[in-house]
Amino acid sequence: MPKKKVSTVLAVVTAVAVMAGCSGNAGNQVTPTASQNTAGDATKAPEDTKKEPLKITMMANLQTTDVPDPTIEKMIEEATNTELDIQWVPTDSYEEKINASFATNTLPKATYVGNLNLLRDAIRNDQFWEIGPMLQDYPNLSKLSPDVLKNTSVDGKIYALYQERPLSRQGIIYRKDWADKLGIEAPTTTDEFFTMLERFTKEDPDGNNKNDTIGLADRNDLIYGAFKTVASWFGTPNNWGVRDGKLVPEFMTPEYMDTMNLFKRLHSAGYMNQDFPVTVKADQHNLIISGKAGVYVGSLGDVNALQPKIAELNPSGLLDVQNRVAAPGKEYGVWAIPGYGAVVLFPKSAVKTEEELRGILGFYDQMMSAEMANLTRWGIEGTHYTVEDGMAVDISERATFEREVKPYLSMQIGGISTIEGFLDLKREPLPAKAEELIKDNDNYLIHDPAVALDSAAFNQDGARLQELIKDATYNYMLGNIDEAGFQAAVDQWLKQGGQKIIDEFNASYAAAQ
Amino acid sequence: MRDTAALSEMVVKEKQRPELRRRFIKNRALYMMILPGFLFFVIFKYIPMGGLVIAFQDYQPYNGIWNSPWVGWKHFERLFADQMFVTILRNTLLLFFLNLLFYFPVPIILALMLNEVRINIFKRVVQTVVYIPHFMSWVIIVSISFVMLSMDRGIINELFVMMGFEKVNFLMSTEWFRPMYVLQIIWREAGWGTIIYLAAMAAIDPGLYEAARIDGASRLRQIWHITLPSIRSVIVVLLILKIGDVLELGFEHIYLLLNSMNREVAEIFDTYVFTAGLRQGQFSYSTAVGFFKSIVGLILVISANWLSKKAGEEGIY
Amino acid sequence: MVQDKTIGSRIFNVVNYSLLLVIALVTFLPFIHVIAGSFTTAGELATKQLVLVPTTWSLEAYRYIFSTNTVLTGLATSIGVTAGGTLFSMFLTALMAYGLSRRDLTGRRPIMFVVVFTMLFSGGIIPTFLVVKSMGLIDSYAAMVVPTAINAFNLIIMRNFFQNLPEGLEESAKIDGASDWGILFRIVIPLSMPAIATISLFYAVTYWNTYITAILYLTDAGKWPIQVILRQIVVLSSGLAGDTSSMDDFASRPPEQTVKMAVIVVATLPILLVYPFLQKHFAKGALLGSIKG
Repeated sequence: MPKKKVSTVLAVVTAVAVMAGCSGNAGNQVTPTASQNTAGDATKAPEDTKKEPLKITMMANLQTTDVPDPTIEKMIEEATNTELDIQWVPTDSYEEKINASFATNTLPKATYVGNLNLLRDAIRNDQFWEIGPMLQDYPNLSKLSPDVLKNTSVDGKIYALYQERPLSRQGIIYRKDWADKLGIEAPTTTDEFFTMLERFTKEDPDGNNKNDTIGLADRNDLIYGAFKTVASWFGTPNNWGVRDGKLVPEFMTPEYMDTMNLFKRLHSAGYMNQDFPVTVKADQHNLIISGKAGVYVGSLGDVNALQPKIAELNPSGLLDVQNRVAAPGKEYGVWAIPGYGAVVLFPKSAVKTEEELRGILGFYDQMMSAEMANLTRWGIEGTHYTVEDGMAVDISERATFEREVKPYLSMQIGGISTIEGFLDLKREPLPAKAEELIKDNDNYLIHDPAVALDSAAFNQDGARLQELIKDATYNYMLGNIDEAGFQAAVDQWLKQGGQKIIDEFNASYAAAQ
Repeated sequence: MRDTAALSEMVVKEKQRPELRRRFIKNRALYMMILPGFLFFVIFKYIPMGGLVIAFQDYQPYNGIWNSPWVGWKHFERLFADQMFVTILRNTLLLFFLNLLFYFPVPIILALMLNEVRINIFKRVVQTVVYIPHFMSWVIIVSISFVMLSMDRGIINELFVMMGFEKVNFLMSTEWFRPMYVLQIIWREAGWGTIIYLAAMAAIDPGLYEAARIDGASRLRQIWHITLPSIRSVIVVLLILKIGDVLELGFEHIYLLLNSMNREVAEIFDTYVFTAGLRQGQFSYSTAVGFFKSIVGLILVISANWLSKKAGEEGIY
Repeated sequence: MVQDKTIGSRIFNVVNYSLLLVIALVTFLPFIHVIAGSFTTAGELATKQLVLVPTTWSLEAYRYIFSTNTVLTGLATSIGVTAGGTLFSMFLTALMAYGLSRRDLTGRRPIMFVVVFTMLFSGGIIPTFLVVKSMGLIDSYAAMVVPTAINAFNLIIMRNFFQNLPEGLEESAKIDGASDWGILFRIVIPLSMPAIATISLFYAVTYWNTYITAILYLTDAGKWPIQVILRQIVVLSSGLAGDTSSMDDFASRPPEQTVKMAVIVVATLPILLVYPFLQKHFAKGALLGSIKG
């Protein structure tokens, strides 16, 4: 009897579920017609009354602790004759929100994403406007770097505008006062780097007669932590390398092994934090700030946040920055990102006509003017910043800046190298030096040759397989597995789909040549 | 049992209609009370459940549910054929049983202890204090644990060194992951979990204790013979519901504890799907995994409920 | 109450009280760390890691979070949603639970199964979003309440409590001519205050912790409840946000750890204050007292 009852209920459930499918779909179909109407209005507008502002919806990644103040949004609207509808999304949930909007066909007209991979399939299926050929019609958009645009391309076509980022911010931040005390110069080779860490650990650099310091503070990130940057010093390729005309994954190169060996030595000798694979960024920073560790490998810009805090606790604590480190017999090199932080795409489900698209591109063209770029970056002159020596000096309280100006950064297109008259920050000497080194890095970049290439196997299994390598890398560095163990993990990677990824990327690479 | 019979009569036999109608009219007020809630479940739970069909499709949002190709059991096959499947299933089940064995009784014991406290202010303060951790997110709890357990400056390891012991690698070992996981859950949820039992104990007639005391029953015997039997039905209900969550362990908690060194014992369905599927927009695959977990949960709940009825309890449905 | 004075009972008391004291301390220490951390300087928090009493006191973190009204607005929203949502949920839940608690009701087991089933199977975020959207709830405060109005778990617990009321209450009331509505509101609910208090607390805490529905269904950042703001600050200050996202050194200053602690304190205190008010309903024999009274 209970069985019968269950099956009855299940039947009801199935029926409801089928109905649900209907209603879900109905929802999908209503949306386009509704927005079609508004789109129609928008396209008619320019003919009737030239003054009618263009409506643009967007979703933006909020990186501040405060709900944004709309003053600057209003100024942008006025200057560009638009009506902006910005939906702010907390940074932690941004991907989830994009996913949900995408799946429910409610993407905004200007869709910002950090990772194109999520939408690559949809882009191929003609869900987004191709904008490549139109860019030349806009004086400012045409200044966007063709190299970076190529990095955002899908099958050689350009669909997105990008937010510029420095190609490589990586370098060393170290305790200058410790180094001076022990008579150590800034390291230029991996051996000198090792020696610095060793002496920072052993020779009581803080002079408190206690064995309580270590060399390197690292964190649970093989990319933005120390590992990938140190790997560059050894000449390891950036994700993929070209060896004998073929693409090879970085972890199958001897240089990757050299890097792991260095970390293994550092870790077993106690010259770095023992828990680095589980240390989060805030705790890593704490090790430096509290004077427990003396060396930090990562974004050179972090010196800006670290120096004042060290000084607060220890007035004689002084940091310095350094790049250009190389293993013996190697050229200096540093890995590069593809040159963009996020991109904007224009979904066809929201932007109905080419005319409307051109209107939106026109808006972004204006946003790339010096005036608008400075407004979104620095705020209002006199209120938020002043100009000294052609550079911006911020004068507002931090909380004010976080609320009124900083959110709008996530709307910005282009950047300092593509916008003429875009003000740079006037920096203190140390951050200014860090900035110089970041520019200097451009001379030695190691690019990822596979950025714009494609592999279906990679899209499906790449992230999962990468975990195998990540696990093996950490376990090797901690001494839990040996070289044979690492090789076994690589073999697993190859067997579970890695070989297919290599083949597909190579095919894609050959086709692109 | 009577109403089960009534239901099958409703489905099968037409003759009984007048009797049913009479009962319905008699209880119409009760049906009116149930109706708003019932509608809620239909609208916000059952209609969206239609979305589960994408587990059998290669769903792409721009195609919608109707135009996405049907692929049958493909995503389930991918899950079962996965090299990690057995590991994940083992990890999930083990963590669940540890949870059941070591966490589940704790709130009951704690509630019994609190129930025996006679000094009212002490009881109130302790009760309020133990329930605070429930309001701390896992991010905070895991970061505080890190401060305590780290090899670098962790307080517990510093203590070990002072006492002349070796440092223990709590955070990156396969042996310590499970105890750490269970202890953190106990720490966060035990106090909160007492509330429901304390509410049930509030309904016990104090006269029962009075009588027991006159008979010379010790405090422990009173707990065993009066308090526990009185909250038995609440325990059974919570147990059945917990069993349904067998494959549904807290994602955020485990995701924060998971690292390359303990993955072997710490990877569970949700964390695995997160890296393998969700992050890359593989909606269908993620849904299929969720579907599988639900089926397992359903079978267990039905079994547990059936067993509880065999044992003379009312069960949950 | 007669105090029992046997030796066994005294030993029991000593053991019981000491154990509870230890448990209370262990659970409370980390929260003290959070409170103390919110009243100290970022530097001290970085050096000492675990702070129980600040050496340097500072109100800087609180000054920072209250320098704009974001946190206050978030608190107000959360209080409103929690109060309104709890009332709404309790009303629906109590009605349904009572209906389903009556053993003479035809079809109550299948309906219960329909409820239990939703605890196991869920259509997921996207189809639910479509339903919420089609009902016009997007960007309304109601979107944080209506889609989660009844929690199946709470409903089942509530029903269980109703079922355990002394039998015969209803029959005698019926003989006196009371209707089902009358029985529920005049007899059953007043007799179930421990259960009502418990389930209200459960709902209140769920609404207080509202996060994901706010993210999904709200488009106006001005309507965010406190948890969204709290999480944003925790994520940014722990450095959990992506590394490519920040534009440069100037733009990527994360909030201080002390600010994180202060927001946790501010976001936790209001809901903690609810509990002591409900505690009197958990007093021993509360139910019996009300029957006699």
